[in-house]
Parts: sequence; C-alpha cells; structure tokens
Amino acid sequence: MDAGETRGRTRSRAWEITVDFIETVAFAAVAGAMASLALAGLALLLAAHAEAREMPVRDARAGTLFLRAHGSGDAMPAVLQATDVHMKVTGMIARVRVAQRFTNSTASWQEGVYVFPLPENAAVDTLALRIGTRTVAGVIREREAAARTYARAREAGQRAALVEEERPNLFTTSVANVGPGEAVEVAIEYQQTLRYDAGGLALRFPLAITPRYIPGTPAAGEALAQRHRQAAAPLRLAGLAGAGWALDTDAVPDASRITPPVPAPDTAREAVLNPVSMEVELDAGMPVERLASPSHAIVVERRGEGRYRVTLSAGAVPADRDFRLDWRPAAGAAPRAALFTEDRDGAIYALLMVVPPDPGRAAARLPREAIFVIDTSGSMAGASIAQAREALALALARLQPGDTFNVIEFNSTTRRLFPEAQPVTAESLHTARRWVQGLRASGGTEMAAALAEALDGRETRERLRQVVFLTDGAVGNEDQLFALIRSRLGASRLFTVGIGSAPNAHFMTRAAALGGGTFTYIGRIEEVAARMGELFERLDAPVLRDVAIDWPAGVEAWPRRIPDLYLGEPVVVAARLDRPVAAVALSGERAGASWRQTVALEGGARNGGIAKLWARHKIDALIDSGRDGASAASVQAGVVEVALTHGLVSRYTSLVAVDTTAARPAGEPLQSAMLPVALPDGMVHEAVFGELPQTATPALLHVLFALGAMLLAAALWPMRARRAAR
Amino acid sequence: MRTFHRLHWVAAALVVFALWHLGQAGWIHAKARLAQYLMQAAWERALRGEREPKPWPWADTWPVARLMAPRQGADVFVLAGATGRTLAFGPGHLFGTTPPGGPGNSVISAHRDTHFAFLRHLAPGDELVVETPDGARRRYVVSDAAVVDRRDLRATRPEPMPRLTLITCYPFDALNSRGPLRYVVRAAGA
Repeated sequence: MDAGETRGRTRSRAWEITVDFIETVAFAAVAGAMASLALAGLALLLAAHAEAREMPVRDARAGTLFLRAHGSGDAMPAVLQATDVHMKVTGMIARVRVAQRFTNSTASWQEGVYVFPLPENAAVDTLALRIGTRTVAGVIREREAAARTYARAREAGQRAALVEEERPNLFTTSVANVGPGEAVEVAIEYQQTLRYDAGGLALRFPLAITPRYIPGTPAAGEALAQRHRQAAAPLRLAGLAGAGWALDTDAVPDASRITPPVPAPDTAREAVLNPVSMEVELDAGMPVERLASPSHAIVVERRGEGRYRVTLSAGAVPADRDFRLDWRPAAGAAPRAALFTEDRDGAIYALLMVVPPDPGRAAARLPREAIFVIDTSGSMAGASIAQAREALALALARLQPGDTFNVIEFNSTTRRLFPEAQPVTAESLHTARRWVQGLRASGGTEMAAALAEALDGRETRERLRQVVFLTDGAVGNEDQLFALIRSRLGASRLFTVGIGSAPNAHFMTRAAALGGGTFTYIGRIEEVAARMGELFERLDAPVLRDVAIDWPAGVEAWPRRIPDLYLGEPVVVAARLDRPVAAVALSGERAGASWRQTVALEGGARNGGIAKLWARHKIDALIDSGRDGASAASVQAGVVEVALTHGLVSRYTSLVAVDTTAARPAGEPLQSAMLPVALPDGMVHEAVFGELPQTATPALLHVLFALGAMLLAAALWPMRARRAAR
Repeated sequence: MRTFHRLHWVAAALVVFALWHLGQAGWIHAKARLAQYLMQAAWERALRGEREPKPWPWADTWPVARLMAPRQGADVFVLAGATGRTLAFGPGHLFGTTPPGGPGNSVISAHRDTHFAFLRHLAPGDELVVETPDGARRRYVVSDAAVVDRRDLRATRPEPMPRLTLITCYPFDALNSRGPLRYVVRAAGA
C-alpha cells in the first residue's frame, strides 16, 4: 500500500465520514423537528384540555380588571374625564378656568375622585358645577364642614362637587351622583402671578403628577382597619379617607389621598386618559419676542401689539407633561417695575414687581464649596436620569481651580463620592465624571437622609457653600423636608434643579426659598445646557442682600422678609394699604455697594384679582410661620380667616357645590372610584411601581430539552447498528 | 470504526446533555418539595411560639402561614417574602401586604408549575384555609380569577376586608418562564 493509495483511501474515508456526518445531522434534525412537533402538539392538547377545566377568566385582556360592584377605588375608569383649560394673561397675572368634564360610561351611579395638579401659587377661588344647562355655584367653607356638606349630599342622592387642596400644587375634585351615561362639568378658576425670571416670563401649567414616593412606616394593621371602617361607614367623610395606591404613613399622613392610580402606559384601556385642550389669551402689555412653548407644539395667532391667542396644534393632548409658554419683552421694552392695584372693601391691594439693575462687572469670584446632590430613585429612571447626568457633567466642567466639591447620590440610601469635599484637580474631576456616568436610577426617594448629608448646619465657613440639588421632587413628605432644610441650612445655600416632564414645583420652589437659593426648571434634555448656563451665571454673580421696603404704617405686605435676590430675579411683593401711598423706597446691598430705588405706588394697572393674590401670599407666609414655631392652631385659625374672607381654597378651606334636586333614586347604589392618571412622559412604570413576582420555573423547558436530546440519541443508535451491518 | 466512535460520542454527549437538563428540572422540583418537608418542622416550631423559625440554619426566610385547598388536595407552607430565591422553596407572602389570615388583602405568590400548579383547578366557591402561627385557621371562599399584566398591581392594593390574593404566572403550560402575564385568584374571608 503506497503513500498515494493511502492518501486516496484516507480521502475517501474522510469523504465517507463527512457524508456520514451530514446524513446523521440531517436525520437528527428531521427526527428532532418531528419529536418537537409531536411534543408541542401534545403540550397544546394538554393545555387546551387544562384550559377547558380552568375557571372562566372574566376578561383575558390585560388591564381591564376588577371593576367591582362596590369598589374601594379600583382603577378601571368607570368615569371618563376630559379637561379644557382657558387662560387669560394680563401682564404678569393669569386668570385661569379649568373645566373638568366627567362622563359616566357605566349603567350605574358613580362618584369620581380626581387628583390633579395646579401651579403652586394658584389662588383657587371659584367652583361651578354644571349639569346640562343648570349651573350650581360653589361656596367656600372650612374643610371639614365642606366635606360634611358634600358627604350628606352624596348620601341624599344629590349631585355635588368638592374641591380640596392636598398640597399647594395638588388638588382633589370629588363629584358625586353622576347618573348612568350622564356628563357633568366641574369648572374651577384661579388667579396666579407668573414668574418673571432672567428677563422673561414663564407660564407653567402642570398637567401630570410624578408619582410621589411615600417614606415612613405605614399605619399599623389596626389603625388601618379603623380607617377603612370609617371609609366604609354610611357617611363617609370625603376629607378623611383616600383610595390611592399608598398607605398613610407617619411621615405622610395623607399618602392615600395624593397617590392616584397610574396604569402602566400600554395597559390603560383608554388610549388617552384625560385629554386636555388649552387656550391662552395673552395680553403682555408690551411688545413681545420669542413667544414659544418648549413643551408642546402650539399655534400662535397675533391679535395686536403684544396680544396673542395660543392653542395646541394637536387640539387635545394627553395629560402627561407640564404645559409651558415662555416669552420675553422685546429689546428695550423690558420693564424695570410693574404695579397692579385693586380697590376692595375700603382697602387698596397692590402687587409690585421691581427688577433691580444688573450688577456691572462682577467683583472677584469667591472660592466656593460646591455640593451636587443627584436623585437616582426609580422615578428618575428613563429620560430624567439622562438629563440629570448631563446637567451634572456641565456643572463639574464649570468648577474652577481653588474650589472644592463633592457629589452625593440618593435613592433608598445615600452615597457620597468623596468622604470630604475635594479640591478641584484634573484627577478629582475625572473620578467624579466617571462616577456620574455610572449612575443608574432605581429604588426609593429617601430624600431626608440626602438633605441631611448635604446640609451640615455649619454657620461659618471660609468658602461660599452652594448645594445644587437635582431631583424631580417626587416625594409626599414635603413638610418634613422643609423643616429639615430650615434646621440644617446654616451658611449653605440650596439651589434646586427640577428635572423631568412633571417635577413637583411646590417642593422645588419652597425648598429653594427656604434654602436661600433659586429654582431652575429643566423640562427636556435639549434645555439642559441653556438652563444650567443660567444657573451658573447666578451662582457666580454677587447676590442682592438685605432687601427692604420702607412701608408706611398701616400697610400689610407679604412676604415680610424679601429673600436674597440672584441675578435676574425681581422683587415681588403684595401689599394691602389702608390709604393711598404715593411711593415707597426699596433698598439693598450687593457686593459691598448699596442699592436704593423709589417706585411710585399710584397709577398702576387696575386688575380684578390682586386682593386674592395678596391673600394667597399671606396664606403661604402663615404656613411658613408654622415651620418657625407658630402653633398649629394659630396657623390654622389665621389661614381660615384669610381664606374665608377672600374665598380661597387652602389647606384648611374647600369649595363645595350641591345641586339640591335629588338625582339618584333611593335604593340605587353609588359606586366610587379614584380616577387613574397618566404616567408622565419619559418615566418607566416598572421603575416606580415594580411588578408582580416572576412565578414560573424553567423546569418544563429543561424536560423538553432532555426529551429532545434523548430522542436524538436514540435515533443515532439504529444508524450505528446499520453501519456495523454493512 | 472511527465512524462508530463519532456517533457514539455524539449520542453520549446528547445523553449527558439530556441528563443534565433532567437533573435541572428534577432539582427545581426536588427543591420545591424537599424545602416544604423542612418547612413542616419549622412550622411546628412556629406553632410552639418561636418567632421567625428558620427552616435551615442559613435560610433568609421562614414560614409565615400554611395554605390549604381541601378540594384540590393542596397543602403548602407560605414563606416570608416573594423574591426569586424564596419562591424556589415555597409560596411567598408579599412584604407590605396584610399577613395571611389578617384583616386586609394578603397577597401570596408562587410558581405556576410547582406550589401553585393547583391554582388552575380552583373554581369560584372553592374553599381555601389559612393556618396562622398562633394555630388559628381562617377560611376563605374563592370569588374570581383574572389574567393581568405583570405591571398591573391593583390586585395587591390594601383592602378593608379579609382577602386572600394568590398570584402565579400565566399561561400555565407556557414554555417561556418570563412571560408578561399573571393569573390572579381572589378569595374573600368567610
């Protein structure tokens, strides 16, 4: 056997093996496929059989579940809802009408409880309940009295509406005895001062609620059962029981009232929960440039000099992000001061805005200690954490040699980058950038611990200490956090940066005010650079301090103490004068130089709502005084007095409207539900609410793999015998 | 001869592969059953008054209740917490919901192919019995069942009345163990 023959034989042998292998694989594949098919068929057969024995599933479509005869507030929208917003803006004052239409889509009588946001400085003064062509006007009452009136009407089968304040920017409308197939409209109106900031006006109408994190320990079993017994009692007090997704806790005693159900976006039965239409009539009172909405596509009709009508291009939009409209006075038309007045009940009410002159060349920049706090909780997952990381990267790039800095992240726990603030070096910045890039959002929002880490309460420092706090403010324990800021601020200054499509503006603005800083709002990733740029200018420019207004005697002005003003911030003050005052002098001090200015208090624009704005300022100040040690009873008495005099909804007063004609026949049951609200745009539902446990093992899959492999192995056996016989 | 060797190897490899998978499947079911035996002893300690009796020394969970479905012949010990690790050993009670047998909505979750395989045979009107660590027994009557998306947490919300909510994956015979649907059985305190 020569080498060539051997090679030839080897080749043919190799060929034989190859053919053999292909044959084997092909056979195996066919056998495997057939076996799988047979198994699958068997499984299907068994499954179909099993299915037949299963309980009839009421509705296999996801998310359409548990509409119960007597609900404790399940989320299925038995009452559908839509909102029309109409705003009339005059200068820097907005008068807004929010019409909420409730339509009962079921064949039974319904009560709807709807939790919704409003601007944090809205002075809500009007409620109108419209049934068909009839309109019932609401009256202002102390909160519990209003709730009792509503509950009585509810039990008597009368149509009724109740508007209550849960937070300055969070309200509840309850509407009772909506008949089968019937629609009612609840219209509320409010007055509001717009924010003049950095030379422009910003109108922000919140449309979504970022689900609030509820810290604290839930009420114990017995207390909870007690609460539910109250809820189930025939005369349920609307002011006492909530049906939200959270339990009341020691830190958030009204958690169940501020947590409306939020269906996962693609499980919501209705394509759009609460479609909103919007119309803004703007009379800026001066030539305007750059009228634009960073949040929505809008249609702008010019109606004259500085006058416009703005509507949404889409007609109606989902209520999943805040509506914003910004404009600036045309160059040269920017006001240095503005005055609005109203005569009412023998007094003159005035709203005064004064823009201090810009500082010239800034004095030498002081070295600072910058503490960045970033919220990495589940509500920040998605678009928000990307914005926050980008904002933080920009902030790090702005640090100067000679500064020191640290970064703190928090969710369920708090973590700091460096044990102590570090000097700015290439190395420390590099470490920080990498750390920030690696931040992910999940878990709770234990903000108190993070604030306590960031604010150390020290009064004296060699550097300017600035705490920049990036968050969506999605917490329910605002009061607790405000108290913490007050007690631990020391010489630090707190700047809040609101992130996401619907941050909690009440928390952001109050926290910044208590922290002696400012609030910056970033709605979208495209705005990060511009907004953070404005904030950095503010952080660098000298502050106007000790701002004082020398009011004559007999003037009650709010706020009592004017906060320190940062670059571009105006003085805004509301005053009640018992007789005309010609002019007042304002003074302050900036970077060692004093500022003094006299403004006339006569000849201001007449406006019908200034008294209410003044009352709203006073209510805020009274609530704040509670944080300064005023007794709860005296705060409540003060607020009730102002709110009832001026007809405003507050923490302690509500609007209630009752249609005395009986509607629901005795004996017909009334169903009640808290209406679901949309998840804000860009958020991740699972990251906030979690999901039901994963409850299947791969055991069956393993068995199938095993069976398949066994069959294959068995198939190879006869082939081997066949080959041996050849 | 080499051909025989190759086929032999392939067949052998397939058998090993098959055995490994069988082992995996067997291990899942063995763990599910064995753990329940160990739980029995821990439960007896619980009934004697021991708090949080660990079924084995390194366990991070303990039995909080015994759940029985007389008509289906099911009898399982419910563990604290419904994490993936706990569910391998027994049905898990969701933290934060009312303890089983308590005055509210108690939510228990388990694997559809082991401890909660019996859920598919439950029908409205069927009886469920929960034994609590103090030895008391509470009866529940199955009211309804439904299929929900895994993100739909309404079934876990607090309620005023004693209620038992049992959750497992759906469909029962699906090969995919990470599907998006859940089967929810609800029973009212009797």
